[in-house]
Parts: sequence; structure tokens; C-alpha cells
Amino acid sequence: MNVFKIAWRSIQYRGLGSFLTILSMALGVMLVVAVLTVYGLVNEFFRNNSSFGYNILVGARGSSMQLVMNSVFYLSRPVETMPYEYYLGFCDKATREKELRHSLAFQSLEQQRAVAEYLSQAATQPLANGWSAVAHSIANQTLADQQQALMKLDSEGEFAPYTDLAIPLLLGDSWEDTQTGIGYRVVGTNEKFFEHLILDLDTNQKFECSAGRFFRDQDSEVGYFGCVVGGAVARQAGLNVGDRLQITHGLPSDSGAHLHEQEFVVVGILTGTGTPHDRVLFVNMEGFYLLDDHAKPINDDSILAQTAAALDPFADEGFDDNAPDQKVAGGESNVVQDTGATDTGADPKAAPEKTEPSKMSADKIEPDPKLINRIRLPMEAREVTAVLVRTSSVDPFGTLGMFLPPRIEQGGLANTLNWSAFRPKRQQTSVQAVNPIQEVTALFSNIEPAKWLLLALTVMICVVSGLSIVVGIYNSMNQRHHEIAVMRALGANRTRVMTIMLLESILLAVAGGLAGWVAGHLLNGALSPIIEANSGVKISMFQFAPAELLFANELWNSFLPESIVQFRMSPEILIIPGLILLAVLVGTYPAISAYRTDVAKSLGK
Amino acid sequence: MLRISQLKKNYRQPDGQTVEILDLPQFQLGIGEQAVLIGPSGCGKTTLLHLIAGIISPTSGVVELDGLKLSQFSESARDRIRADKLGYVFQTFNLLPAFSALENVVLGMSFSSKRVSRSRALELLDQVGLSHRLHHRPGSLSVGEQQRVAVARALANSPKLLLADEPTANVDPHNQQQVIDLIRSVCSERQISLLLVTHAMEVANQFNRVDRLEEINLVVRRSRVTV
Repeated sequence: MNVFKIAWRSIQYRGLGSFLTILSMALGVMLVVAVLTVYGLVNEFFRNNSSFGYNILVGARGSSMQLVMNSVFYLSRPVETMPYEYYLGFCDKATREKELRHSLAFQSLEQQRAVAEYLSQAATQPLANGWSAVAHSIANQTLADQQQALMKLDSEGEFAPYTDLAIPLLLGDSWEDTQTGIGYRVVGTNEKFFEHLILDLDTNQKFECSAGRFFRDQDSEVGYFGCVVGGAVARQAGLNVGDRLQITHGLPSDSGAHLHEQEFVVVGILTGTGTPHDRVLFVNMEGFYLLDDHAKPINDDSILAQTAAALDPFADEGFDDNAPDQKVAGGESNVVQDTGATDTGADPKAAPEKTEPSKMSADKIEPDPKLINRIRLPMEAREVTAVLVRTSSVDPFGTLGMFLPPRIEQGGLANTLNWSAFRPKRQQTSVQAVNPIQEVTALFSNIEPAKWLLLALTVMICVVSGLSIVVGIYNSMNQRHHEIAVMRALGANRTRVMTIMLLESILLAVAGGLAGWVAGHLLNGALSPIIEANSGVKISMFQFAPAELLFANELWNSFLPESIVQFRMSPEILIIPGLILLAVLVGTYPAISAYRTDVAKSLGK
Repeated sequence: MLRISQLKKNYRQPDGQTVEILDLPQFQLGIGEQAVLIGPSGCGKTTLLHLIAGIISPTSGVVELDGLKLSQFSESARDRIRADKLGYVFQTFNLLPAFSALENVVLGMSFSSKRVSRSRALELLDQVGLSHRLHHRPGSLSVGEQQRVAVARALANSPKLLLADEPTANVDPHNQQQVIDLIRSVCSERQISLLLVTHAMEVANQFNRVDRLEEINLVVRRSRVTV
């Protein structure tokens, strides 16, 4: 009979005591495993997704960390919105001109020109008030020219020369799967997001669809209401191409959250990327703007309004701050016509009032006149949550990512706001530009101490559990001395009985460790949905804590061989060896006690 | 098989005084010989067995077991000699409670240099009439059964010498005779020398050789004990 069996029999014999010792050890190890794996995977998740394909994130002034969390990882609450013009500050001439032409200001000028032309024709006729009208026309035409000059239609954005890519993001809405009750973030963006954003700079990985396609900015089948669903969302919620869904205004936890009436149509399912993009639904930003409560109420300080006010003292009553906000959403506006769509007067409130995605067609989406004939929201009523900026590849010194953010923050974009007479009633104009990689690095330098504190606490639990092994053995030492004496009388030497005692301690620790390891992973599996919902990190039940540089430390890196410093291993691997070491340490006292057992004296007991 | 000469064992008391426990000028036991050792309580009988087993070291003198002078060996070597050449039956059986009857017997050969043989353990338990109680723990065995397991364990390593320290003291009269018969027959059968300590004269009377260990610890050899 070998020493293992002898030690194990002793553990079995002290059933309840051994069980409680193993249990306390298992609880300690369970917490260690949970902390290591959850922290490790969250860490890995954020670090792996720090290869963004853009290097500047622009958003409204506020917490830079919050901006990164909600714009990069789709977590936390969105910060304030910022003017749409700020996005145009990074756009080329063609994009900017197209957007500026799609504004109330431009439309107003066009109308003003038409009025001036009409009045010029009228001035040639001898009417009573003819000279007065001509005078108005000339004055207004002069103002209109000045305003058009302010718009700088033929100019590119202020930061366009330094920009390769600028993608707007609209955040704050969500979609709730009524089957599971799980809410997913909704991100409004444009087709450039899918076409130009690089997921992994090393492999040049881009978005792909496992089914369907990306939405287009002007989509012939679904108009502005295309939706591309992240791979994880589609899998969990069972969404397919052709499904229709209504999104919620606000996040599910918001008190004022309500369902938008307008439906979006799923046109594509993203192939899983292992990034936060898997957990969100992307919708066309044009459709996003057309949802109720998404258009900013605006003040009309245009020439036409001024003229009307001069002729009619009651004309500006509609802009009374105490009056209900003037909505410029969706089909209610007939001021601006998009070049690619005509207003059929479709009533968005006529949309079906159901939250379940209704299937249109599994394979093909039929063009829907109700969706495609909608008018874009004019520019003045728009805002964006963030802009993802990739600086120009023509950057010989590699410094654009460093010097551009301060310039953006110093107010360069604010100069672009005075081009239109139509202004949102409330607008935040201060802006921040951050490097997302730096923010993520800073985040982890803040979290690291918390991890070590948590680990220290859990290790302390293990040490206390280890002490319970000593207490358990010590309490039975009287009986054990007799048993040891019998074994000695049968021929066991001191080393043998000491080994048996140490083995008993080690077996208790290892049994507790293995049970705790399994329990820790079961706990991870049980907590996985909660962790995923709160952090976006998906943890499978038996996923190991990611490998780390275990021996690297500034204090001793220079003294250790490079191969040891660079050695990466999952810290979980160290749990059992660590427990064995702990067991040897705590088992030393009983083992020495066994070694010193007075056989003759103990046999007589 | 066993040769003892000028064996002394002293203990130092807490007050510094030395107490002489054992002073045995001469003692011998031949191969296969069976002897009983009697004497009043406290005369050093158990101490003598411990000295013979090498569990304790003598203050002076020689214990020679199967030609090996124990005092010349380290404690570890004495442990090995004990494991290989000695069997020990205790008054209180001293079975390990965590182990079954079979495991206790196997344990008896686990520390020796000989091969551990489960079949031998089964054979021994069959010989002591416990083949139906192999997997019972000591707590579920009767007193007589426990002592029979203890005898089987003591014989498991095929010893040259069996030391039995009042093996029948805790056994009822019916089982007492069974245990004595068992020990004697097995020792005779396997040519194992036997030194049995007892207070029971009815046990001692069954042996041809009875040695009285007087309080002065000098062995008085008689051919037969008379009551």
C-alpha cells in the first residue's frame, strides 16, 4: 500500500472534517479562478479591440473615458451630442457640399433668389409699391450672397487635409429582444463604416456579411431604414435578413425610453468578428435621424423669416421658446427635398405597432415604397455623438495623431457654425478629441491595482483555507500520533510518516483546488450573461484566463533572462502548483510533529 | 534468533534523577522457539519488547536479532529491520481505524522490503477465519475479530520473530484461547520465534518456556511456571 493510498484513506476516514476543509479551499480557489478569468478576458477583450482602424475619436466635451467606452466598446451612457458641422469639418469638398446643399439655409437662399427674381420682374411694372419691393429684393439678395459666402460650398472641411477617413456615429438608442428581454445597442452610421473601417490593422480585416449585405446610404429597397445586425445579436435573437424591427428611444434602463414607430429592415448579418461590433445593430444614420425625437428643434433666423416678421408682427410666434418645439422630422418637413427621393406624404405613424421582428422575406427584400420615399432630415436639425477619424496616411513624421486632437479641441470646429441662419435651440459646441488607444491604456493602468487587491483578497481566502487544513490535522493529532506510532511499529520510518502527513495536506489542497477550479468556471458560466450584458465580454464556461507575462516586472526584468521575462502563460496554470506549495507550507508543522512522534509513548495511549 | 546481553535501559525523570527500568544480563530465544514472559506490572516487559523491536535504543547492552546487532544500525535501518524481520501484536490491537481488515493486513507488509502481496493478506485472513470480514473496518469487528486481524497483520511480512504484548488482555476467555492457539499454531507452522508477554497464568501455563522478569529485571528461567 503506497503512501498516497494511506493518506487518502486518512482523509476519507475524517469525512466531514475533510469535506469542510476541501469546501473552504474550493471556495477560495473558485473566487481566484473567477477573478483571474473574468479580469483576464475583459482585459484581453479591451486590448484586442484596441486596434481600431482609426486614431482619433471626436465627441462632445465630457468624460474622455466615457466617450471611448460608448463609441468604441458600445458601453456606458453616451456623452452629449455635437453639431453635425463638426463631422463635416473632416469631410472632403464633395461630401461637405452635398450636405450643405441639404440644409434649410441653402433651401432658404434658393427660395430667396426665386422671390428676388420674381420681384425684379415685378419692378419693371408700374405698381404702387414697386420701388419698395425692389429695394427689399436688392437688400435681401445682398444678404443671401453674404450667407452663401459663409457656407463656403466649394471648400473642404477644415481638418480634411489631415483626414483619410471620418465616420459619424449616432448613439443612444437600443433594441430589445422581447423573447429574452436582452437589450442591444443601436448605432446609427453610414455605409463608410462597413466599407472603410479596418477591424484588424495587422490582417487588414474588414467587415463581412454572413448573410445579406451592408445597407447603402440611399438604398433602393429599404430607403433609409436598412439595418445590419452584429453576429452575436443575430445568433442570440434569431434575427434574419428581411426581419423588421422597431428600436427603442434611449437605453432599456432609461426612464423615458419608448418605442419608435418607424421600422427598420434587416438587410445583412455581420460575420462574427470577436469585437464589440458583434453585439450591436447598425442602422442607416439617415433613418436614425428621421425617428421621432431625433431631430433637433431649431430657431429660424433666416432672411425670409425676418422679412415675414417685418411685414407681420405675429409671424415669429411659432418660435416662442415657451411654445412647443418646432419639429423638422421625417415627412413633416417639406422644406428640403433629397435629390434621390420624393415625398409621397407617407405617414410614419401608419407603421405597424409591434415589437416582434416581422419577416419580409428570408432571401430577398422587396422594395417598400413606404420606406424609400422619405425625405432626409435637413442638416441644421442634425447632431452626431462621435466621429471616428483616421488621420492621413501622408504623415511622414507620424505626428498627426498627436498634434491634431489639441487643435480640434481648441475651437477650430466652432468657426464652422455660423454659416446658417437656422440654429438648434440648444447646442453643445465644445468638443473633445482623444486617442482611443491612450484612453484604453489609461483605463487599464487604473484597473490594474483593483485586480491585485481583489486577487490578494482571494489568495488570503486560500491561505485561510490552507490554515484550516492545519487546524483540521492538528485537532486530530492526538489520534494521529497513535496511528503514526502503529505505523512506525510496523516498520515505517520517520520520513515515510512525514511524507504521509504532507501528502494528506497536499491531497486536501489539490482536491479543494480542483473542485474550486471547476466551481470557478461554473460560476463564470453562470455569470456569463450578466458579464456580457454589462461589459460586452463573452465568457464561455471553461475558457482559461488568457496568457500573461507572468514574470515580467520592472524591478527584476534586467536580472532575468529574456526567455523568462517574455514567457507567457495563463495564471490559472499556477493555481494547482501554488496550492501544492501552500499545502507543503501549512502541512510542514503536522509533518514535523509526525516525524517527532515518540513511538513507545504513543503506542501506550 | 534473539540474543540479549547486558541490556540496560534508564530514563531521566523531570527532576534530573535517573531511573533504571531494565537490567537484563542475558536472554536468548532460538529459531522457532516459543517463550512467555511474565512479571508484575512496571517491571519493564513492554520496554524489553520495544528494545527488541528497535523502537527505542538501550542505554547499554546488545540486542542481536537474526545475527544483526541493532545498536550498530541507524534508526532508519532499525525501522527496516523491524519491517522485515519482526511481527508485533499489541494488547489494544492497534488496528488503524481508517483501513479495512484486509488493508490493515496489507499495511503490515507495506513498509518491508518484501513484495506487497494481496493474495498473502487474503490467505492470512482466511487462516484466522476472517475471509468473510475482509472489507470491514475495525469499528465494525468484534474484539476477538480485531485481535485476529492484528495477528494476521503481524504475520503479513513473514517475520522471523513475533512479539506479542498481552495479546489476550482485552479478549474474552473464549476468544483468548482461540487467539493463543492461532498465534502458536501459525508460529509453529512457519518456524517463527515467539516471545509473548502476559499476566494470565492460564496462558503462560500452556508454554514450555516461561521467563519471569522480576522487578530487578533479572530473568529467572524455569522449565514450567507453577502457580
